[in-house]
Amino acid sequence: MKIAVCLKPVPSTTADLRPAADGKSLQLSGVEMLVNPYDDYAFEAALKLREALPGSSILAVSAGGDDTAKCVLHAIALGADAAIQVKAPGISARGAAFAIAAALKDFAPDLVLCGRQAIDDDQWEFPGALGELLNIPHVTAVQSLNVDVDGKKLTGKRRFNRDEQTIEATLPAVVSCDKGLNDPRSPTLKGRLDAKKKTATIKTPADLGLDPAALISTIRIETIAPPPQKSPGRIITLPPTDAAREVVRWLCDEAKVV
Amino acid sequence: MTILLIAEHAGGTLKKSAHELSSAARALDAGATIHALALGAGATSVATELAAWGAQAVRVGEEGFEPYAPLCWTCAVVDVANAVKADVILFGAGALSRDIAGRVAMRLGGTLASDCMALSADGKGIKIVRPTHAGRVTTTGAFSGPGPLVATLRANAFAVLKPAQPGAGNVANLNAPTDTADLRAIVTATVQSTGTRPELSEASIVISGGRSLGSAENFKLIYDLCDVLGAAPGASRAAVDAGYAPHAMQVGQTGRTVNPALYIACGISGAIQHLAGMRTSKTIVAINKDPNAAIFNVADLAVVGDLFQILPALTEEFRKALK
Repeated sequence: MKIAVCLKPVPSTTADLRPAADGKSLQLSGVEMLVNPYDDYAFEAALKLREALPGSSILAVSAGGDDTAKCVLHAIALGADAAIQVKAPGISARGAAFAIAAALKDFAPDLVLCGRQAIDDDQWEFPGALGELLNIPHVTAVQSLNVDVDGKKLTGKRRFNRDEQTIEATLPAVVSCDKGLNDPRSPTLKGRLDAKKKTATIKTPADLGLDPAALISTIRIETIAPPPQKSPGRIITLPPTDAAREVVRWLCDEAKVV
Repeated sequence: MTILLIAEHAGGTLKKSAHELSSAARALDAGATIHALALGAGATSVATELAAWGAQAVRVGEEGFEPYAPLCWTCAVVDVANAVKADVILFGAGALSRDIAGRVAMRLGGTLASDCMALSADGKGIKIVRPTHAGRVTTTGAFSGPGPLVATLRANAFAVLKPAQPGAGNVANLNAPTDTADLRAIVTATVQSTGTRPELSEASIVISGGRSLGSAENFKLIYDLCDVLGAAPGASRAAVDAGYAPHAMQVGQTGRTVNPALYIACGISGAIQHLAGMRTSKTIVAINKDPNAAIFNVADLAVVGDLFQILPALTEEFRKALK
């Protein structure tokens, strides 16, 4: 089976994010970039499938700025058979779907795996957009995944609002992965050393027949700012029953939220 | 503007999010022509309420829309959006929009903006305010095409206001797409939650517990208070990782984002990943024995003390107050 895994570099979850001087972008120099955590579940799912189905191959693909190099190196260190880095800085989630759909054309994957959301733009857009461009079904946010290669179908389980759904899809398909799907492994030292000997194929939008300007978001950013800071709240240090009474009084009578 | 609302319902009972979509549409353009689409079993019974909420025309599709098939629903939304020439398509941010809004936007040649906190029009286009990086920054952007805007609205972010005049509410039945390609992905089984507590991301009150609860059994303190207040229970990542609560309850960067009127954090230190999932809550109460806990930096009311004593007292006091 041919499996493609899409990975995105994102700022570390603990990084102190500040607007840049222009007020329209983030100050990212010096901010540690990581592989989007949900993409790790996708890559682990690919490794498990390759172990279960000998002869399978994994192609890792990442589209965006220079930090995509980190994603493809990570994937190679984890055992990707091949990797494509599409150098297209400043692209949107929609733009990434165009770039990756084009980059996957020759590989013709049976299964495309990605994370349920990228934790930087939080758009939850990519899996459906990619499925549309590849004209194959998409299944989002699975917490379990079984692939029936002979029957050319997959079965996933996921939460859908309050329900638990079982969903089936024909192959080829795009599947986005949620926490709980598996326990992602980290690259070994040998993997890291081997990765230095392998290289990713580097493409530009032009190589893929795409206009870079068409990959940028159609929403023009005007400001990017930290969320409004709250003024310090009231502190209550009373015995438990008195504290509880005061909380109830404040919520019912002053804040009027209960 | 022509605005299409994707109205969600539970077996014929309209969800609160539909009221928010209607309110947001009229706030965006007081003169907007509002269309609504409701799909799935029971959709027909929400048409009257959608008219009362300002819909000029309501399309309903029941037969052929169950069980849920994402491509089939995508096709229905796109067909209706094209038929009415929608400038804006509004979804409530939730499982449905996260499943199909990206595909809908791509097929329409439009643009998706997820989890919007505010939308406004200024004559030149639409201004969009949305949190990114799990709420660590707020982005304001301007959109003026090409194509329609597909926006998903964060629950509890838009003021709900019923229109003075109802819409005409002309109801039309929508046939399900007949192309079998639209059934390439389809739900084959659904286990419905049996609980009576509200859905976490839609709840007006969320009460979350942290690792300080110490055990799954002790989460009963959280559940008891939830049941008195009609609240949804949540948990920090630390509590979920320790096995005290299921992942479905996790609030934060790798869990659910909530935006309730009231958030009560019990024994939660306030790691940045947790704050990301709840910091837009209107009112925040935090209970922690550590007076320096980071959660107190975002709390409107900081209660320093032992949650094992305060939580039962709070449940008792609310029970008395709400009697």
